[in-house]
Amino acid sequence: MQINFALKEVNCKIVYYGPGLSGKTTNLEVIHSKAPTTNRGELTSIATEGDRTLFFDFLPLNLGNVAGMKTKFQLYTVPGQVFYNSTRKLVLQGVDGVVFVADSRRGKLEENTESLENLKENMAEYGLTLQTTPFVIQYNKRDLEDIHTVEELDRALNTVNAPTVEASALTGEGVFPTLKKLAGMVLENLNRQQSSSVVRRRMLAKEPVAAGVKARAGEAAAAPSTPSAPSRPAGRAASEQPAVVKEHVASGVKPVERRVPPKGASGVKPRVTPRRENASGRPAASPAARDVAQGERPAAGSRAALYIVLTLVVLGGAAAALYYTGVLGKLLG
Amino acid sequence: MSDSKCIILIDREGYMVTKTGHTEDFDMQAISALVAGSYAATREMARLLGEEEFSVLFHQGKRDSIQLTLVGDRTILATVFDERTTIGMVRLYAKEASQKLDKLFEDISQRDDDGSEHIGADFAKSAKDQLDAVFSD
Ligand SMILES: Nc1nc2c(ncn2[C@@H]2O[C@H](COP(=O)(O)OP(=O)(O)O)[C@@H](O)[C@H]2O)c(=O)[nH]1
Ligand SMILES: [Mg+2]
Repeated sequence: MQINFALKEVNCKIVYYGPGLSGKTTNLEVIHSKAPTTNRGELTSIATEGDRTLFFDFLPLNLGNVAGMKTKFQLYTVPGQVFYNSTRKLVLQGVDGVVFVADSRRGKLEENTESLENLKENMAEYGLTLQTTPFVIQYNKRDLEDIHTVEELDRALNTVNAPTVEASALTGEGVFPTLKKLAGMVLENLNRQQSSSVVRRRMLAKEPVAAGVKARAGEAAAAPSTPSAPSRPAGRAASEQPAVVKEHVASGVKPVERRVPPKGASGVKPRVTPRRENASGRPAASPAARDVAQGERPAAGSRAALYIVLTLVVLGGAAAALYYTGVLGKLLG
Repeated sequence: MSDSKCIILIDREGYMVTKTGHTEDFDMQAISALVAGSYAATREMARLLGEEEFSVLFHQGKRDSIQLTLVGDRTILATVFDERTTIGMVRLYAKEASQKLDKLFEDISQRDDDGSEHIGADFAKSAKDQLDAVFSD
């Protein structure tokens, strides 16, 4: 949630989650095609050739002026494939509400429950739970023949007693009701927090760490050209760094920050936080700092090349960064 | 400042905080979301490579280029520029600006919230009415 009093704006982030091919992207396509043009922005999709979401889909919606504030929703989808977990995690950062798009077809129950478990785990890393975050389950593909009954789906998936909506994203049925239900819950949540002067807190310091990526980082670490990798086990950031709690209120955008010890780590001495190191006091030996001195010349050289090659090997999802560049280029004309 | 076309300040969660310069032609919301995503992907790369963080990112285009500089641990300064200026200039200014902004954010965060600004109590109700009006089937 971003409340920007300087720009008189309220921004909320809604994420469509669920297993691969359950209909998340289709939901956004329907919203994009049916919403009045004045209320919607462009639908940005970063997909592979096979039409599967590689990074995320993004659709900004503009509710217009509400009580003096320009109110906007940013809708995201996540890629369903198991191996893109690091992407799912980063999309969840700062989420205000989640739609879980379940595939109603028989034979898909296990994929649905796996994805739901994965959602819980990823939210937990940001200190969020399904009980305390606005959450709606959409039972999609109701138009098909061989599907589970709502009762069966409820029993398997709806353990938190969330509101559910039956939908057929293909025909558009149930898509707006799902969005409106969740958006309403997000707005109520916002009001509650505001009126009780409880300001939004957010866990940020925890880095997204993907189990799949962990394993592959280990492989890369074995390569002779990565001397630094073995000294940095993937899970470190999440386990040792103090969590940073932030609040975003008043006078323009006002990031307030407090540090709290990580869960169950009262005896652990907080590490020096990366905040200042990153912004200004980074060791001069870092490649970025050196580049500043080099002026005109873009970051090049063997180290950079090594980074690029390694990156492609190590992180399947990192290919998305390259897609990003392409999409950014297009947006910039 | 460094003859760049525009400068955008973007929250790590993908929201634009503020902007300056010639931004009319660009889809700012999408750019903000992509910059934040791009940054997060790069951070993940850095982590896997054993780097603390890549504090500067640079995408070069035929005409326009974009440079991303980290400000504190929450915000990204994106500078869009063309051939009228050089990477060196942009880097220099962006670094300086980033340090100043970080200091500014730090100062602001020290200040107490006097509670003078709040969302009105009827906000949710009005917003929901609007939702119904705008997104009707
Ligand atoms: N029959 C039917 N097909 C659907 C429905 N929703 C999505 N699909 C199809 O399922 C496939 C995957 O949808 P997509 O939105 O890409 O899934 P995502 O991976 O969750 O983004 C596409 O071929 C859609 O046309 C639905 O409600 N009914
Ligand atoms: Mg998709």
